[in-house]
Amino acid sequence: MVGADPAAAADQLVGHLFRDDEGEHGAVLVAGIAATERGVRLLVREVVRARDGIDYVPGELGYRALTPRFVAEVSGCCADENLCYLAIHNHGGRGRVRFSGDDLASHERGYPALLDVTNGGPVGALVMADGAVAGDIWTPHGRHEIERYTMVGPTIRHLFPSSPQAVLAVDPRYDRHARMFGDLGQRRLRDLKVAVIGLSGGGSLVSQMLAHLGVGWIVGIDHDRVDLTNLPRIVGATRWDALGPLARSRSPRVRHLSQQLAKHKVHVAARVARSAQPGIRYKPIVGDIVDADTARHVVDADAIILATDTMQSRLVFNAIVHQYLIPGFQIGAKVRVDKSDRRVEEIFAVARPVLPYPGAGCLQCAGLIPAGRLREEALTPDERAAQRYVDDDEVHEPSVITLNSIGASLAVNDLLLMVTGLLPDDARMRALMYDAQERVVQTMNSSSDLACRYCGTTGRSHFARGDRGRLPCREAQ
Amino acid sequence: MAPNVEEAIAEIRETFPGLRVEVEPEAQGGAYVVVHDLEFDRLYTPERTWIGFSIPFQYPDVDVYPHFADAALARVDGTALASAFQKTMWRGQPVTQISRRSNRWNAATDTAALKLRKVLAWMRDH
Repeated sequence: MVGADPAAAADQLVGHLFRDDEGEHGAVLVAGIAATERGVRLLVREVVRARDGIDYVPGELGYRALTPRFVAEVSGCCADENLCYLAIHNHGGRGRVRFSGDDLASHERGYPALLDVTNGGPVGALVMADGAVAGDIWTPHGRHEIERYTMVGPTIRHLFPSSPQAVLAVDPRYDRHARMFGDLGQRRLRDLKVAVIGLSGGGSLVSQMLAHLGVGWIVGIDHDRVDLTNLPRIVGATRWDALGPLARSRSPRVRHLSQQLAKHKVHVAARVARSAQPGIRYKPIVGDIVDADTARHVVDADAIILATDTMQSRLVFNAIVHQYLIPGFQIGAKVRVDKSDRRVEEIFAVARPVLPYPGAGCLQCAGLIPAGRLREEALTPDERAAQRYVDDDEVHEPSVITLNSIGASLAVNDLLLMVTGLLPDDARMRALMYDAQERVVQTMNSSSDLACRYCGTTGRSHFARGDRGRLPCREAQ
Repeated sequence: MAPNVEEAIAEIRETFPGLRVEVEPEAQGGAYVVVHDLEFDRLYTPERTWIGFSIPFQYPDVDVYPHFADAALARVDGTALASAFQKTMWRGQPVTQISRRSNRWNAATDTAALKLRKVLAWMRDH
């Protein structure tokens, strides 16, 4: 069982628990939950701080305790919202922590009833010291310890009940990496599962870079097949993948056949990744992230990189980032051409961190998922024709590998520094835009709306609900 | 049908009590909706008509437009319909399309029922 805590909640929590008085303080974490084949993750949505002397008082059977009234109020809210109740307090010491006998006895007295109140929870408790967290989580089926606690910010920080054992030296081929971020950094990359959505120009480069970096597990998602016009920018794609001789046929039937039989882009990406790192675990999925069955493959990733250009996929990606607290990056490149005289007006590439806390790049709040464009994408081809939309799916945007590689590099580099702890804690993770004609990289401010359905924490927002929220996906038919 | 779409339909029934609301699920989790017997203060003929639209599966993040009405929709005074109206096909039948896109659609506050009320109000003004 793993806890995940977005940066804003982590700051609130650490500031509340660890104060100059060096005393013991308490709070409750209100959390969603995600159960996947990698295990169960509890996702911190809100920190409810217990006021000293009012909500957190000297206990009759232990040192200090939350008052019954405070527990009833917060657990009632958790039941109403279908969320999990996790009490937390702090202990002294560093790098190692465990519950006291009084703590465990209080769990045994209180949590069976709290499980009933919260309709099966889970409920439980965490105890935090400097650099360590332990947990005692109760479900209707048993009692579990916390394996690790993850704080997602400019640095992705993991806390354990006790400091992990020393890391063994990694594969010597990563020697030059280790000189930058150490064996521990390389180990963290090996343990990472990253989802890449869209394996065309930008995504193919992202996938290749991740494999070269030593990321241990990649899930690639794309429904499309390689065609001849992809070859100049999909790394590793060959004429055979596009069935070149057939694709050049004069016969429309043969050309159509080549389109049906050409290799899927995601399989090319898997081949390239395995060539770069033979032991990699690469899961190629021929599918669309907008479909619920496909999206399930992503909700236990440690990071997601979006390299598609549809609004529907942006909406689902943005929802997964915030609902499952998974750091994300959206990349893209744009060449704006005047439709009347074909003059190139703008050339730029973008890498946009989309992190699961308010003000950290929500695509919805930034106005990057227009409701009207979503509407148009939801139409069937017949409806599009009848309703006179002029965009033609067969008319593609300009795209070149050099621009794609800039967005890909910026995003993967940000992820690398976040995972290996090489960004300062106060780094502002703003979007980066490279203006190729001005030859400058600009940062772009992000905005956030408290009422946002994805990054907001009020009312019915999906933030950190995990499996207890619904993704904006197509269900299987 | 997606739960958000079901909620939108329930709100439409509440907003237009007494009117027949016809619903047909579409394959992706959205729905086709037709509200019958709407009146327009004798501005249009036929005097009572229907308005149809689809609510996509990604509602409420997605705008609800365009709307459709009887193919024979015309102004009683004989003047031409505004440019937002056009004749087209919807679900295999000729219809009048009413294009009112909401450029500031806000998923937190805008709903399919509210949008239909705005479309009706706009039709009464044009």
